[in-house]
Amino acid sequence: MNAKVDELAAEIAALDEAAQRVLLERAAELSFRHGLVELSESYRKRLAQQGELDRTAEDILAKLRQIREEIAAREYPG
Amino acid sequence: MSILDEWVVFDTNIWIFGLRRVPDNLPCAELLEHLARFRVVLPRQVLQELHANLSEDEIRILFRLLTRFPERLKTDWEKTKPEIIAKYQRLGCKLGDAVVAAHLEELDIKILVSENRDFLEEVRDLPFRRLSAAQALAELKQSEK
Repeated sequence: MNAKVDELAAEIAALDEAAQRVLLERAAELSFRHGLVELSESYRKRLAQQGELDRTAEDILAKLRQIREEIAAREYPG
Repeated sequence: MSILDEWVVFDTNIWIFGLRRVPDNLPCAELLEHLARFRVVLPRQVLQELHANLSEDEIRILFRLLTRFPERLKTDWEKTKPEIIAKYQRLGCKLGDAVVAAHLEELDIKILVSENRDFLEEVRDLPFRRLSAAQALAELKQSEK
């Protein structure tokens, strides 16, 4: 693992500054995307366990509307 | 001005459809994959709604991801002004939608991405544009040409 990381670091260090910046940005975006995919998988797994995963889009929107009104009424009473 | 130069708000349904990967709303999942390219604000009402839908662990993971791009992904926990909410209610919005619209106006956000086609449909001359996830993706692709 360390040898691989050293090898990659050397390759990156050999790039010019602009290319390094682009590469690091891309790597950060990819890592972010992987994180979101993991979050999505974990969320879907929980919903499946609760029997909630197969709700229709309309059902979900209706539930979200209800939650929106409840929160708004609590935060801005009267 | 391109969608990449503007601050945008993703409505709660974009986050939830995207994370659930709802088959009828796959553009939402695709939009979240490109999240780090946008400049996104999460206003208090949306944050509260995400808290109501996600578990503590899921919220913690989401916030940890958002903090990776603090210059592009921002949370705003401030309550919005009751007088702006009242203005949108007078225009026919339900309280919750009025709160979201007020957040956008107060934060000077010019784009709301939402899959709720009824949201503010009846209101003319909004100070922001409404886009579906598919429309936002189309603008993203256009901006990157």
